[in-house]
Amino acid sequence: MGSFKYALRDGTRLIIRHWGLAFLTVVTSMAVFYLIGASVLLVLNARHIVNFLEGELSVQAYLAPGADFEIAARQAATLTHVKEVRIITREMALERLKQRMPDRAESVTILGENPLPESLEIAVDRADSIESVVTALAAIPLIDDIVYAGGLAEKWARFSRFAGKFSLAILLVAITASAVVLFNTIRIAVYSKEEEIGIMLMVGATPTFVAMPFVLQGVILGGIGSFGASIFLALSYSGIITRLKEMVPFLPLLEQHAVVLELGLILVGAGATVSLIASLVAVETFTRRAMKPL
Amino acid sequence: MDIRFSGVSKVFYPDITALEDVYLEIPKGEFVYLVGPTGSGKTTLLRCITREVAPTRGQITVGSFSLRKISRVDLSIFRRDIGIIFQDFCLLPHLNVFENVAFVLEVLGAPSREVKERTGEILDQVNLWRRRFLYPPQLSGGEQQRVAVARAIVNSPSVLLADEPTGNLDLHTAEEIMQLIMSINALGTTVIMATHNQYLVDAFRQRVIGIRSGRVVRDEKRGRYNLDGEL
Repeated sequence: MGSFKYALRDGTRLIIRHWGLAFLTVVTSMAVFYLIGASVLLVLNARHIVNFLEGELSVQAYLAPGADFEIAARQAATLTHVKEVRIITREMALERLKQRMPDRAESVTILGENPLPESLEIAVDRADSIESVVTALAAIPLIDDIVYAGGLAEKWARFSRFAGKFSLAILLVAITASAVVLFNTIRIAVYSKEEEIGIMLMVGATPTFVAMPFVLQGVILGGIGSFGASIFLALSYSGIITRLKEMVPFLPLLEQHAVVLELGLILVGAGATVSLIASLVAVETFTRRAMKPL
Repeated sequence: MDIRFSGVSKVFYPDITALEDVYLEIPKGEFVYLVGPTGSGKTTLLRCITREVAPTRGQITVGSFSLRKISRVDLSIFRRDIGIIFQDFCLLPHLNVFENVAFVLEVLGAPSREVKERTGEILDQVNLWRRRFLYPPQLSGGEQQRVAVARAIVNSPSVLLADEPTGNLDLHTAEEIMQLIMSINALGTTVIMATHNQYLVDAFRQRVIGIRSGRVVRDEKRGRYNLDGEL
């Protein structure tokens, strides 16, 4: 308990003594963790949109004149990535048309006959498999024409994959940058107390005891930085979501506060962990050298 | 704690011999002067005991600790039983007298009540209680050295190493410091003191070990600083 009190008092002293450096470290880690949080939210939203679009994915296959739609449906169902095949009869197609465009449905049947063809409605499991399903369907001779609106979903899926890789790269660069900044801050603090540490080690303080105030200093700075980043992220995300909803109302975005809260907690944890490791490495390097005999 | 040097040599890079084939036995509670010209190896010998310097050859044992191979944790534990007084005091200028002494107990994790009580006792013993709130630059040389002595003995070490503790002091103050160190020795603490002060060695006669060019050239039970022009 006495040791912890000492570490806390000395860690706070170190922050106050090097307040300019402490401020810069907090700002840097705040920027870094904001960047990490923002890229994670981008990826989460891209995946959310892809999931939403995938739920809507279907291919419309029109049959050749005189083709048996039962056989065509069975053939289509055997294809990989096909989730479900539904037969749409002429009557069902007309009924759908009436529902979608009640004022124009009558003009279609004005000649007394339903001109709409029979078709198969094929549900696909994932957006990026739509292209292969369409190619396979085109190879079935019973199918005359294929219509699908999966281009957008496909593009989103590609974007989601890219965003995933991009954010991983950002994550690695940002965490490294944050660790380097914290490492240097702690190293400067360690060197400023070089004489004191030397005396501490000479009178029998353990390396762990010597490291504690510096590690605490690092965790406090890293924790404040990542906490600030989380607050800014929550505020700015809420603003961006509100504006996007006004501009692109049909775009399905993540709006749950729980996601942002969870992300904030992860960021604070990550900030504290990165700073803990960076501080430990900085002090350990110094004490190892200081205790090495000539 | 008994201190034993067995064939200890130290060669600094590239080929500066600081100690050569040193054999020494210092029993618990003894007072030893290390005398010799500047650069003879006195400080290296003291620094070998604190393991700031590792011998190139030979073995050093202090109590139950063999210093050839000692882990970092064991080294910390070992150093808690060694008090060190430096010639240039090595006080922390941003801490006051009380804090400089209490600092040792704090880093050893002593409870705050014990820190206060023990620091108070020691400052009283070295006659600095009334000056406890002053900072090192506000003290005289003698007072600073008394703070250094207080810091070295506050955790009741078994061994006290003093590297020219009176080097920067006038004769009167040096005598005061010497009496303080003698009183600590009287309580059973082994004292090894490197010094150039002929007067003190001759006035407070104890075992004298003479060193020249890294070799022990003289070891007398109740010796003098300089006998017949020899060390």
